[in-house]
Amino acid sequence: MGEDAVAKAPPLKVLGKRVPRVDARERVTGEARYPADVARSGMAHAKLLRSPHPHARIRHIDTARAAALKGVLAVVTAADFLELPLGASVPMGETGYDMWMVAQINMARQKVFWVGQPVAAVAAVDPHVAEEALKLIAVDYEVLPAVLDIAAAIAADAPVLHEHVITKGVDPRPRAPSNVCSRTVIARGDAASALAAATATATARLRVQVDTAHQGYLEPQAVIAEVDANGFATVWASTQGQFTAELMIAAMLGMPSSQLKVVPLEIGGGFGGKICIHGEAVALRLAQKCRRPVKLVFSREELLQGGSGPPAAALIEIEVGAARDGGLVAIEGTYHLDAGGLPGLSPSLVMQASAALYQTPNLNLQGYDVVTNKPRTEAYRAPVGIQAAFAMEQAMDMLSQQLGMDPLAFRLRNAAVTGSQMPIGTPFPSIGLTTILERVRAHACWRDPLPEGRKPRGRGLALGYWRGTSMTSAGHITIAGDGRPMVTMGAVDLSGTRTTMAQVVAEEFGLDLHDVHIQTGDSKSVGYSDGAAGSRVARTMAAALVEASRDALTQLRRRAAEKLQCAADELDYAAGVFRLPRSGATISLAELMQATLTEGAIVGRGVSTKLPLGVEIGAHVCDVEVDTATGLVTVLRYTAFQDVGLALNPAAVEGQMEGSVVQGLGWALTEGFDYGPDGRLRNASLLDYRMPTALDVPKIDCVIVETPVPNVPYGVRGVGEVPIVPPAAAVANAIARATGVRLTRMPMTPERVLAALKG
Amino acid sequence: MQEFSYERPASIAEAVAAIGAPEARALAGGTDLVPQLREGRRRAARVVDLKSVPEMTTIAALPDGGMSIGAAVTATALARHPVIAARYPAVAQSAQLIGGVQVQNRASLGGNICNAAPSADGVPALICHAARALIAGPKGRREMPVEAMFAGPGRTNLAADELLVAIALPTAAPRAAAAYLRFTPRREMDIAVAGAAAWLRLADDGAIADARIALASVAPTPIRAPTAERKLVGERPGAALFEEAGRLAAADARPISDTRGSADYRRTLVAVLATRALADCGRQLGFSIEVA
Amino acid sequence: MKTLLNCTINGEAQSVLADTRDTLLDLLRDRLGLTGTKEGCGNGNCGTCTVLMDGAPVNACLVLALEAPGRDIVTIEGLSESEALHPLQEALVQHGGTQCGFCTPGIVLSAKALLDENPQPTEAEIRHAIAGNLCRCTGYGKIVEAIAAVAGSQANG
Repeated sequence: MGEDAVAKAPPLKVLGKRVPRVDARERVTGEARYPADVARSGMAHAKLLRSPHPHARIRHIDTARAAALKGVLAVVTAADFLELPLGASVPMGETGYDMWMVAQINMARQKVFWVGQPVAAVAAVDPHVAEEALKLIAVDYEVLPAVLDIAAAIAADAPVLHEHVITKGVDPRPRAPSNVCSRTVIARGDAASALAAATATATARLRVQVDTAHQGYLEPQAVIAEVDANGFATVWASTQGQFTAELMIAAMLGMPSSQLKVVPLEIGGGFGGKICIHGEAVALRLAQKCRRPVKLVFSREELLQGGSGPPAAALIEIEVGAARDGGLVAIEGTYHLDAGGLPGLSPSLVMQASAALYQTPNLNLQGYDVVTNKPRTEAYRAPVGIQAAFAMEQAMDMLSQQLGMDPLAFRLRNAAVTGSQMPIGTPFPSIGLTTILERVRAHACWRDPLPEGRKPRGRGLALGYWRGTSMTSAGHITIAGDGRPMVTMGAVDLSGTRTTMAQVVAEEFGLDLHDVHIQTGDSKSVGYSDGAAGSRVARTMAAALVEASRDALTQLRRRAAEKLQCAADELDYAAGVFRLPRSGATISLAELMQATLTEGAIVGRGVSTKLPLGVEIGAHVCDVEVDTATGLVTVLRYTAFQDVGLALNPAAVEGQMEGSVVQGLGWALTEGFDYGPDGRLRNASLLDYRMPTALDVPKIDCVIVETPVPNVPYGVRGVGEVPIVPPAAAVANAIARATGVRLTRMPMTPERVLAALKG
Repeated sequence: MQEFSYERPASIAEAVAAIGAPEARALAGGTDLVPQLREGRRRAARVVDLKSVPEMTTIAALPDGGMSIGAAVTATALARHPVIAARYPAVAQSAQLIGGVQVQNRASLGGNICNAAPSADGVPALICHAARALIAGPKGRREMPVEAMFAGPGRTNLAADELLVAIALPTAAPRAAAAYLRFTPRREMDIAVAGAAAWLRLADDGAIADARIALASVAPTPIRAPTAERKLVGERPGAALFEEAGRLAAADARPISDTRGSADYRRTLVAVLATRALADCGRQLGFSIEVA
Repeated sequence: MKTLLNCTINGEAQSVLADTRDTLLDLLRDRLGLTGTKEGCGNGNCGTCTVLMDGAPVNACLVLALEAPGRDIVTIEGLSESEALHPLQEALVQHGGTQCGFCTPGIVLSAKALLDENPQPTEAEIRHAIAGNLCRCTGYGKIVEAIAAVAGSQANG
């Protein structure tokens, strides 16, 4: 892909255009099918029995009475699944995915680590019978003391969740197990000395506590599993990755890959929370046992009450220092991340992300992942990015105040540029942070004076960075009898990629968008692709489909040459037609396919692995008003600037930015999990887990900046994750400017804001 | 979920007979009852759907000049009724705070009262208006002040075989105004963290002749704020007076701490909301009053 | 327990065998196969189950199936006649007002009820009309824009 440096030379005809989604129609008519919409003949209904305790040993499970209930078709416990050893993993990108953990998330074995962890499951003729059957399963628990937050988990005599966990990254290696799974350090220079010296000029320090929240996808987890007469299993799932799901299911059930497939249906939101399976393997095991299709749909309450993986709570402390001229001299950070009940949440990415945008010679970042008796945390768009930015971007804001510098000028002074050293030492590939900052400076949202109001108002700026990932994307293209490309892509469409990828193929073939048919394949009908996550699909699938398009066109060119009786390289191709210049003879794709139907299929194949990253950078500006009597914060105006490399479809890019920002605002102001001392979530409903309504947020204005990524087709960057990173900090900085008070707890609920105002 | 039988009476007499059965529950909009039944938080062996009983679904003028609101009238219908909107705007506004549009198209004041949540948004304004609950039972009809309907969280003082038929509002007094304000973290869809309704009636000389303040979410039931009320009577409306009344109302509150807010925060909110509600009343009565 | 219910769904008389414990949502999705109406929370807090009952948006998860007979119920499936989309549906397509699509049927019906009653709503009125419909993907901006565009075009005739 080397020759595709920047944007393609001729002007783009389809790419870069604001086009409606090719799959919008079925959404607005209600015809789009999600797994819960599917009914299979003879279908049984499954329900999961979940632990009522945050920490307990399972002594015994007696399912006999449940199994005997009329209408119950099958019952399973951990005994029905393979016992996977510690360290078991399935492939995913460069790191793989911890399968020992996935198995426990889906069915507890010997111990439970959070309220809501599944311990058994039933399949019955209808959901009411399944509900009754659960009540008949007797679980003998030995209740153990639990730790419910980071502070409790790292206390000296805290009960230990996992006897095998010895803190990694500590020298000398500790003797005893603890709840601190690992320590990660990213450092250069001598941050401590630099900070000590900077007290003479300017330093700022902030410690924040972030409550966990939830991705808030509107569609609860749902799956249907069915086994055919030969034992071949089909699983229809709401998943971000059908291949990953298949690997996980196969690992839990000990099935060879050729015995099952996962068909991804429409997904009603994922945001990182539907990468790990939740119930798929259980549904399949039940289907195998009762020899009927099994449908498992989570209720909202159960998915909130430990049935899914929320993002991590965090305790983050940042200290920064600068010289008199505003140059950053050091960043120090300590990040404690709450992994929930199972180990393995690496802090490395988020530590890098939080410091990446700033040039500084001295850096010392220490990260710890800690287990607590709460659901195992999973990704939520730029995982832990927003939590870290809440600390870092406020610290930078405080530092700029100390220096008497405009916060934008301070960022410009210290902004990383192409070639700057990233936290782990590699040079930054092409980035456009300074371009973004200049656009902010020139924009009305920064220049317009804050409108006056009866209550205090303030304006906040915050930056965000997310690295994203590449991993593997594959796809293939066949050509229909009418000459139109039929694309099968391997990645699930989470962010409108059916449309953008159809645009890519249309561009490559010189056709109209609507000449391209596109679908996502199941795990047996298309090349392996990693899940839709990490802002990777548009960029990497574009690379794969460019390759597939060119492969298909090469095959078509050969056939056209045969038909026109010339050499392949004598032909021109444009807009669906091959032309032989010396004679003027032409043959269209449709004619060609009609003439060569008996010569076998044209199949263009493409795959992209480890494509250069297209890192995401954003800057957000937020105006707020604070009701100092109640603590209520109103967001008056919000503008998000982001470098997207090339906007394949500006409408889709804006949609990703606006939605992601509003998720960030929700977590910033009203969304947070409230755990009681018994380890139960006290707000396990959408009444009290408060996601923003249309009345709670203004229109989010988007400004798209385009600094293309070299060596990536069309110079595309990831888009969907970074917009969630700045909002909490942008709001916090605005509140600080409005009231002089720094908020160190997220969400910044009205009660917390009021308490902070009162000091 | 428990099995239940379903009855749809066409008259008060039929409804009373139906509600007398064991574990019978009245159904109006269902916005509380249906999820409660599905989640096992309430039990019902029989569900009595009141929406076909004419007296329960109509709003009518009363001979004394007041208005009778059928217990099953939807919040939307109530808020849009021209007489309610004009003469009892606080009641109309309260109805529009119960959930979003979808919920308001089903939820009823009767349900709001009989569900007896301390946070019921429809109740404080009714209390301020000295509304009466019109009740029917096997022994006939009776009344009680809406304020006296509440026994505790989720419990009313209705007997098991009684039904709330309608809510009677007295004739709107001249030189009187009411307002209800509540606090929620989101602009809609939330349960009130605290709520305060205020009602003022002025004497001819412009002093406050009568005052009522009713609070939501700060006690096991909706409550009055008697200390604050006593402070107001005889005084002229003004910001300082209302701020003092707000502080007194906060002291009258007996909130608990729960997932929606701490007791301290609720007390703070009561002071703010009561003050603001009083200021709203003052402005309705022609005074120019600015409070925080 | 099973019961036979005679309902009017999208203008058609339907005789449906339901469980007496069914909500209207269960009736539509599981008994009639009308799966365009979604379940996001089951207790009236998300709006994905919004249907029109006698023209008014309600949460189908809060209505008992037993209450359906005698009411005129319109689901998303009843909105577009033949191939043509309702203007609100078309506008959501054109303006990018749908992403994962899970909230979309409910949004369409809430918006339809709004415009049927208030053809020229302000932005605040639009946001109020859909406040009971949570959307997690779009941030609401393009949804509001789409509804306003329909209102605007209807004003211009």
